[in-house]
Amino acid sequence: MEKKNTQQEIEEEIKSKGKDNIIKKIFSWILKNVKFLLIPASRLEELSIRQIEYEKKISKRKFIRRMKSTLTIFGMLLIFFIVTIAVFAPWFSPYTFDVLVGIAPGNYDPPSPAHLLGQGRLGRDILGRIIYGARASLTIALPSILFSLIFGVIFGVIAGFYGGWADSIIMRIMDILLAFPGLILAMVFIAMWGQHMEYIMLAYGIIGVPYYSRLIRSSVVQSRDLPYVQAAKVTGAGNWRIMFKHILPNCIQPVIISFTFDIGGIILSLAGLAFLGFSDPQLIEWGNDIADARLHLYEAPWGAFWPGFMILLAVLGFMLLGDGLRDALDPRLRNIYGAKKKKRKKGKKEENDSYEKK
Amino acid sequence: MSMVKYIIRRFVTLLPVLFGVITLTFILSRLMPGDPVAAYLGDRWTNEEYLRVQHLLGLDRPMIEQFFVYLGNLFIGNWGVSVTVNRGAPVWDLVLDRFGRTFDITILSIVISSVIGIKTGVISATNRNNPKDTVLRGTALVGVAVPVFWMGMILRYILGYLIPIFPGLNYKTPGIGDPPIITHFRIIDSILSGQIYLIWDYLYHLVLPVACLSFITLAGIIRQTRSSMLEVLEQDYVRTARAKGCEEKDVINTHALKNAMIPTITVIGLNFGYLLGGAILTESTFNLNGIGALIIVAIINFDYWILNAVVFCITIAFVIVNLCTDLVYGFIDPRIRY
Repeated sequence: MEKKNTQQEIEEEIKSKGKDNIIKKIFSWILKNVKFLLIPASRLEELSIRQIEYEKKISKRKFIRRMKSTLTIFGMLLIFFIVTIAVFAPWFSPYTFDVLVGIAPGNYDPPSPAHLLGQGRLGRDILGRIIYGARASLTIALPSILFSLIFGVIFGVIAGFYGGWADSIIMRIMDILLAFPGLILAMVFIAMWGQHMEYIMLAYGIIGVPYYSRLIRSSVVQSRDLPYVQAAKVTGAGNWRIMFKHILPNCIQPVIISFTFDIGGIILSLAGLAFLGFSDPQLIEWGNDIADARLHLYEAPWGAFWPGFMILLAVLGFMLLGDGLRDALDPRLRNIYGAKKKKRKKGKKEENDSYEKK
Repeated sequence: MSMVKYIIRRFVTLLPVLFGVITLTFILSRLMPGDPVAAYLGDRWTNEEYLRVQHLLGLDRPMIEQFFVYLGNLFIGNWGVSVTVNRGAPVWDLVLDRFGRTFDITILSIVISSVIGIKTGVISATNRNNPKDTVLRGTALVGVAVPVFWMGMILRYILGYLIPIFPGLNYKTPGIGDPPIITHFRIIDSILSGQIYLIWDYLYHLVLPVACLSFITLAGIIRQTRSSMLEVLEQDYVRTARAKGCEEKDVINTHALKNAMIPTITVIGLNFGYLLGGAILTESTFNLNGIGALIIVAIINFDYWILNAVVFCITIAFVIVNLCTDLVYGFIDPRIRY
C-alpha cells in the first residue's frame, strides 16, 4: 500500500514538473542529472519521499562539512578571483586591449604611478597584461580539458564494457599515446598545424584523452558484472543505455576529482609551452610574457615575476579545490581521518535512531 | 633466475608499445609541413642538387620502404644525419651528448626529491594535524602549482644575481675543458679520465636546476608517503611492535615505513616521465644546452631524424625506469615474487 502511494507521488511530482516552463525544466534536468555526483543517496527510489528528503539533507550536510576546510575555501576564493578578473578584464585593466598589444615608450621601465607593476616588452603595462592574461589561460584550458574528458570517457567506457578486441585495440593506442612524452607531442602538433589558439586547444585535448580513458576503464571493468547491470540487462536495456545511463554515473567520481586537478595542470603546461615559444604570439598570455622577459631578467625582474605569480595563484586555486573534493568524495580516504570524524559518525547514528523511533 | 625471466617477459610485452611509439613519431614527422631537403640546401640550389640530396637522405623512396629502412637503422645505431641543426653531423652523437646532461639532472633530482620527500612525509604523518604538518603540506602544494621555469628564474635572480652564490647559466665554467668522450655522461667520463675537478665544477652548476626540478616532484611523494604511512600506522603489527617495547624510531623506520613504501615508489616511477618534460623547461631557463634546446630547434626546422631519435631515447628511458621500479618492489617487500 505504502509503495503504491510513493510511486504515485513520484509520478505526480514528475508530471507537475513537466508543466513548468522551460527554464525550470532545464534547471530540474540539471539538478536531476548532476546531483547524484554530489549526493550519494539521491537515487534510492524505494525509500519514501520523506526518507529521500532526509537522506538528501544528511548527505548534503556531510558533503559540505567535508568541503569546509580552510585550504579548500582558500582555493575557491582564488578561483573566484581569477575567473572574476578574466570575465571583467576590461573593467579592471587600467589600459584598453589595443594599448596593451601596441607599442609605447619605456621598454622594461620600473614601476611608476602610471604603470603600477612596471612595463614589459615594448613598454606594455604589466598590470593590464596579467589581467587580460587570465582570459587566454582559462579559454584555452577549459575547452581542451572538456574535449579530453568527453572523448576519454567515451573510449574508456566502450573499452571497459565490451572487453575483448575492442578493449585491447583502444587501450594499446592509449598506451602508445601515454608512453609518448606529452610536451614533445604538443610541440609537434603545434608545429604541424600552426600556432593558433584552436590548434593548441586540440593538441592538449588529444594528449589528455588516454589519461581519462584509462581512469574510467578500470572502474567500468570492476562494475561490469555487478547486479544492477544485470538487472538493467534483464529489463531489456540496450548496451548503450546500460553504458551511459547505468554504469557511467556510478563510475564518474574519480574523473570528477581528477578533472579539477587537471585544469590546474593544463594551465601550467600551457604556460610552459608558451615559454618555449609554441603559442599564439597574438594572444596576451602569461607564459608569453615570461618568455619575453627572460632576456631582461637581471635588469627588470618584475617583467617575469608578476605573470608567473598569476600562474601560481590560478593553478594553486584549482589544486586546492581538487584536494578538498578528493577528501570529501574519495571513500578510501575516509578511514584516515582522525577522532573528530568518529564522533561525527556516532552523532549521525543517533540521529538515524531517533528518526526510526518517530 | 626468475627475475631474469621476468625482465625478459616485461620487455616482450613492452615491444608493441615501443613499436607503436616509433611508428607514431615516424608518421608525425612525415606529416610535418616542411621540406628537409630544401632546409639542408639553404637558400640557393639547382634541381640536380635537390635530387642528389633527396637520394642521399633516402627521401625519394616509397614511404613504406623508408619506414623499414629507418626501423632497421634505429637498432644498429645509424640514426641518420642532422639536416639543419648541425648540418651533416650524425644524430647519434648529437643526441647522446645532450641526452646525458638531461638524464643527469633528472636522475639527480629524482634521488634528492625521493630522499627529502619520504623523510618529510614520515614527519608529516607522525605529527598529523599539527602546525608542522600543515606547513609541510602547504609548501608541497605550492611546489605542485609553481611553474618550474618561473621558479628557476626567481632562483637565478636571487641566488645568481642579488646574492651571487651559484652560477645562473650554463653547465660548466667557461674555459674549463671537457673530459674525453667515452660514455657521453660527463660525470662518468670525468672519473674514467681521472679529472675529478670537472665533476665538482659540473655539480656546482647543477645545484639550482636540480633544486628546481626536485621541488616540483616533492609534493606528490610527500602526499603519497603521508597517506600510506597513516594507513600503515593503524595496522596490528605496528601495535604489536609498540607493545613488545620497540623504540618509536624503530617502529616507524623499520616496521611501518618499509610497508608504506610501495605506493610511494609507484609515484616516483610515474614522476619520471613528468620530470623529463620539466627538464626541458628547466634546461631552457638555465641554458644547460640539453635535449630541450635540441628538440625545439629540430621541431621548428623540421629535422625529422633528431625528433625521432629524441623521442626514442626518452621512451626507452621511461620504460627502463618503470621496469626498475617494478624490480625495487621485490627488494622492499619479500612477499612479492616474480
